[in-house]
Order: sequence, then C-alpha cells, then structure tokens
Amino acid sequence: MRVRAGLIVLGVVLLLALVPLLMQTYVVSLVLFIFMYIALASSWNIISGYTGYVSFGHVAFFGVGAYVCAIMITRQGMPWVPAVLVGGAGAALLSLILGFPCLRLKGPYFAIVMLGIGEIMRVTVLYFEDLTEGGFGISFPHPDATIPSYFAMGITAAAVVALSQWLANSKFGLRLMSIREDELAAEAMGINTTKYKIVAFVLSAFFPGVAGGIYAYYLSYIEPESTFAVLITINMAIMTIFGGRGTVLGPVVGAASLYVMSELVWIRFPFLHLALFGAIIIVVILFMPRGIMGLVGAKGVLVRARN
Amino acid sequence: MPIPITLPLLSQIFVSGLLAGGVYALIALGLTMIFGVMRVINISHGEMVMLGAYVTFWLFHLVGFNPLLSLLLSMPALFLVGLFMERFFVARVLDLPEITSLLLTFGFSILMVNMALYFWTADFRSVEYLTGSVKFGGLYFSLPRLVAFWVALTITLATFLFLKRSRIGKAIRATSQSRDVAMACGINVRRIYAITFGIGAALAGAGGSLISIMIAVYPEMGALLTLKSFTVIVLGGMGNFAGAFWGGLALGLAESFGSLFISEKVSEAIAYCLLVLVLVIKPSGLFGIVRR
Repeated sequence: MRVRAGLIVLGVVLLLALVPLLMQTYVVSLVLFIFMYIALASSWNIISGYTGYVSFGHVAFFGVGAYVCAIMITRQGMPWVPAVLVGGAGAALLSLILGFPCLRLKGPYFAIVMLGIGEIMRVTVLYFEDLTEGGFGISFPHPDATIPSYFAMGITAAAVVALSQWLANSKFGLRLMSIREDELAAEAMGINTTKYKIVAFVLSAFFPGVAGGIYAYYLSYIEPESTFAVLITINMAIMTIFGGRGTVLGPVVGAASLYVMSELVWIRFPFLHLALFGAIIIVVILFMPRGIMGLVGAKGVLVRARN
Repeated sequence: MPIPITLPLLSQIFVSGLLAGGVYALIALGLTMIFGVMRVINISHGEMVMLGAYVTFWLFHLVGFNPLLSLLLSMPALFLVGLFMERFFVARVLDLPEITSLLLTFGFSILMVNMALYFWTADFRSVEYLTGSVKFGGLYFSLPRLVAFWVALTITLATFLFLKRSRIGKAIRATSQSRDVAMACGINVRRIYAITFGIGAALAGAGGSLISIMIAVYPEMGALLTLKSFTVIVLGGMGNFAGAFWGGLALGLAESFGSLFISEKVSEAIAYCLLVLVLVIKPSGLFGIVRR
C-alpha cells in the first residue's frame, strides 16, 4: 500500500515535471495557476479546515507576499528566489501580529475580522504610494519566467500538500482538529490552544505569501486591485469546501477541478460561472458537508496512519 | 492641503455624518435582529440592500415610480426573499455550528452579486430624485440625504415599536432572550425565525431603497455595506437592537470626521479599522450589555 502510493506520487510528479518540456505555453501557465490555487486552498484549509477558524481575508497574505517580493526585487535588487521567501516571511510575520489579538475571537467573529483585514491591507497598499507605487502598481520587466515560476509554484504546492498530509497524521494536526471540534474541551485536555492556533495561522499564511511572491515574479507586474481581489479569497474557500474541508486531497481536487472548469468552460460566461460558484457553496454546505472527498469515501491516502 | 478647521465646518461635518448614520442604523438593525434571534451572521445582508436599491432603481427608471413610495414594494419583496431563504436553506443548518450558516450565506452573497452582474451589468446607476440641498441655520443639508435620514428614522422607530408592543414583536424578543423558554411558553420558534429573517431582509431592502437616492447603485455595492453593518452592530453590541441605532450614528460620524482629519482616501477603511479595533479590544460592543 505504502509502496503503491509512493509510486503514484512519483508518477504524478514526473508527469508534471515534463509538462513545460512537452506542452505549449498556455498549458504550462494553466498548470501553474492550478499549482497556485492548490497551494492557496491547501493553506486556507490548515486554519479553516483543520482548525475550524474560517478566514475571509486570506488574500491579505497572498497580496503582502506579492508586494514584499516585488519591492525586494525592485528596490533591493534581490534575486527572485530569496525575494519570494522574504515575501512568505512577510506574510508569516503579518499573520503572527494579527494572530495574537484576532485568534482570541470565536469562529464567526474571527471570520468577520479577517474580512475587514483583507480590505485594510488593500487600502494600506494604496495609501503608502512611496513604497508601493499606489494604484499604478509595480512593474519589473524581465525575460519570460514561465518555466522557473512553474517549478517554483509546483514545489510550493507540493510543500503545502506534504504539510497537510503530515497534519492529518500527526499529534499536532490532531490537536488542531480537537480545537475545531470543541475548543473548551481541547483546553481542558491540556492543549495550549492559543499556541496551536497561532502556529496553524502562521503556517497557513506563509505559503500564500510565497505563492504571491512567485505570482508577482511570473507576471512581472502587480497592482493592488487584482493582487488583493476578494475573488482570490472566495476561490480558496470554494475550492476547499467543494473538495472537502479538513482533508488532505480535498483542496487539491477542488482547486484542480474548479480551476480547469472555470478556465476551459465557464470563462465565456464570467458572471454566470461565479454565480454557479455561489450555488456550489450552498449545495455543498447543505447536502455534502464533507465535499467531494466525503462522497468518494476518502479511502486510501486519507486513512489515518495510526489507530 | 490643510483646510482651516472652524466651528461651522465641524458642525457641517457632524450633520452629514449623522445623516449617513441614520441609514446605516436602519440597515444594521436588520442584521442584528437576525443575529440576536437566530445566531446567524448573514453575510448576504449587503446584497439584500443591493436588491432593494435595484427595486427602486428599476421602478424609477422604467415607469418613473416615486423612489420613496417604492419602499412599499421593496420591503415586501425583500421580506419574501428572506422568508424563502430561511425556510428552504438557513433553517436546515440552524442546529449546526455557527460557521455553517456563515458559509451558507456567503454562498448566497456570491450568487446574488453575480446574478445581478449578469442580468443588470456592472454599470453604475443613479436615481435622480430630490437633487440639491437646503440651507438651514447656516448649515447645508443635502436634500436626498435629509429625506433618507428621516424616512430611515421613521422605519427604525416603527420597528422598535413593533418589537415592543405587538404580539409577534414580543415573541421575537422572547426568542432572542431564550429559545427554549420561548418554546416552552408556546411560541412557534420556527415561525418566529422565518419572520425575523424576513423582517431583517425587509429592513435591508428599505435601506437599499433609501441609499439608492444617495449613492450609485451597482451589483457590487453590497460587500461594503455588509462590512459597514457588521461594524455598526459590533459597535452597538451584537444582537442588541437599540445598540444598532447608536452604532449606526457612531459609524456615520466616525466616517465623516475621519475623512476630514485623516484623508479622503482612507474614509472607506475607517469602517474596517473600527470593526477590527472594537472586536479585538471590546467584543461586547461599546454600548452593549455583555451577552453570553
């Protein structure tokens, strides 16, 4: 079983590594964005799926990562790989600062505060024009970076999925899930809930920051409206809910299926496809609260390693 | 460029803040009623405001219907929307953790915005009614804002009177105090839930009709209003009906003074910052009694 799962993973990785060699640029960028959404949805899943704190402002970390990375490249002349990591660190730092006050709030209040924080970050970036160029955005032309960005985004996505897999099978992850199920009981069991919530929040912010940095490097141009778009948070939430909250493969399946469908089919009906996203949330919440993974029984990879 | 700050200027700012606050209070009252009675945070509240605004816009645009009279249509229409949403969707998840109804209404919010974008396009529409302003006691009052304020105040007071005096109003308050005791007293709690959600939606619709004569109407106007309503009810204490009124006025004043002292650019962010600050520092609200 272990060996077979390992072989499947190896096969998928090899296949994806060959994509840039064999396919046209369009397919490469399509897969790149699937990677990005896998990374984002899986990160969202850490705080909102495993830990049960729904964040409606996660785009803040993506956007901060993108901006920190772009500023490091343009102002400090930093090479892009360290700049991307600094972007992730910036997002993690922001989440650490926000986590202490915000994670004291119970679930629904936390969700609302995060809704505000996503917008505050966008307005902040608009306001500090000297550093961020305000509404004009930052542009840093460089030769086509599709292939390095592809691999960087792929590694990021793989890292988050590996982290999720570890969470699903570790004591640390179980403690997060116990917070989700009953925070008071978790505390009574001797779990330092504050510490665990903050670590989960920082982890779920770091990777969107990294993904934001790679996104900025790939596009070589960012501006506040699209980098802090509420739609990015909506996508993270829908992909995770659709795939299955609190599972390892749920966000992966959700991100890949919904992104491919929206790119290939629904792009011709821009508003209808988003309306359909809204309808999907409603249907999934009402009738299949555990998402696609709940439907397929989530056997195999998802089975707990320990009993 | 600094503007000299004089007493007339400050009073002018005070007045315009107060006028905006009246409509915020009306919209937020609907949100806080739904939360107080059902413990449901309706993320699609701002979208209901948007629907109310479109009812007024289309009636005015197509048949020249008086925007103030259109309240008589937008409120019942949104009442039905709320009733429908509660009966078939929200009622099913009431016994699940609060986060479930939050995600459910989040789905409705996305659905409503994008249906509106599809059918009515992203164009900014305006209802040109009662333009201009009146001068009174040395201060200028924007006419649409003045009228909207008084109508909002009337509807808010009527709602309070309804909650205070009528049988259903008393049942609503009883349910918000304790669902189980209300049930034991023979109140049909499920019916009260449906009615409360309907009234909450109707108040949002009324707010939409009134706001349409003040600002532009477009499908994505709701998100900002949802956030502002949250700020208001957080200021006033979540689920505290009277607190929503004071919170509304407080937000209106904070916004107008904020845009004077800080910057016009950040006036939008004032609501968000207030929201975050109050939730983090004093989650029970500024005027609220602590509810647990």
